[in-house]
Amino acid sequence: MSDAETTTTTEPVQDPDHNMLVGTAEEREREKKYGLQEIPPEEVPLLPGELSHHPSPFQYVVIAMILVVITALEVAVSYLEGDIPNGLIIFLLLGMGLVKFVLVASYYMHLKTDKPVFRRFFIMAAVGAIFLYLIVLTTLGVWDGGS
Amino acid sequence: MEQAAIAPPAGGAHASTPVHAGHGDHETSTGVTNTKLAMWIFLSSECLLFGALIATYLLYRGRSKGIEPADVYNIPFTSATSFILLMSSLTMVLALAAIQRADYRRTKIWLVATALFGMTFVGGQVYEFTEFVRQGVRVDTNLFGSSFYLLTGLHGLHVTVGIVWLLSLWGLTTQGRLQQKDSETIEISGLYWHFVDVVWIVIFTVVYLIPR
Repeated sequence: MSDAETTTTTEPVQDPDHNMLVGTAEEREREKKYGLQEIPPEEVPLLPGELSHHPSPFQYVVIAMILVVITALEVAVSYLEGDIPNGLIIFLLLGMGLVKFVLVASYYMHLKTDKPVFRRFFIMAAVGAIFLYLIVLTTLGVWDGGS
Repeated sequence: MEQAAIAPPAGGAHASTPVHAGHGDHETSTGVTNTKLAMWIFLSSECLLFGALIATYLLYRGRSKGIEPADVYNIPFTSATSFILLMSSLTMVLALAAIQRADYRRTKIWLVATALFGMTFVGGQVYEFTEFVRQGVRVDTNLFGSSFYLLTGLHGLHVTVGIVWLLSLWGLTTQGRLQQKDSETIEISGLYWHFVDVVWIVIFTVVYLIPR
């Protein structure tokens, strides 16, 4: 293959439809053939430490939408202060925060599809931190208003 | 040869074979790469750091003289910046999905989008801090001010570090130095970015939304 041919296939292509960050001819060919959404996760090579395939881009978007809805619900619940007991508000907010936390850690940080060693480290640290600081705050009388 | 740098399309017989991590990573007795394990251990230690700062905030909340959180918080504004940070997590995983599919054009777009979302979040935090100072809440005003600025400021610093990291990855991708085989590099930066996001999920709920 001559140098001229090589240059032709790897130089960025000016695409009239895309004015920014156009790719190489190979990328555009592949995009034309598959499109990002159409390459199923099963055909993507596994990364080191992965047990199964990541979610598809569409599934990522669905998870983001769920996170947005939960965030909106959280904000709405926070405005109910005075209308419903504070204890219920705190329970609902912590519950929704936990769901968001688990969704991001499981699907975006891939704890669900990676080897369990990562999950064990993270859960041990997160749960350990919660218990440790709950003990500290209880000892310091935060919940009963003492000093 | 330049063409050799282009990764082959994903799929076929290689689909379920783990790709080699870049930068000379080698087989380990744990079956996972050292860099990824190190990142998870680092993030685990960060849980304790942010846990300590959140506990400090809860300890001092309601015990300060003068201005209290409820006097200065702008929940609609902070909700908007929280939404932006959530969206940055989406663009981050889309960047990873793109490089795993050897789609470098979209990788660059999503990396830049993530960095821009991060910059918007930090910009919002700077605006919020400016407003608080204007209303009389400074680091040395009371215990609320000290613990609030320390907690959210450290989080903002983490976001800033993440932005620099993302922009450097964008630069590497633009130069063709980050290829499909280096997907783990993007994944590790993504782990950091998503961790910053989950920490904000906790801060937003505990610091801003939960009533006194």
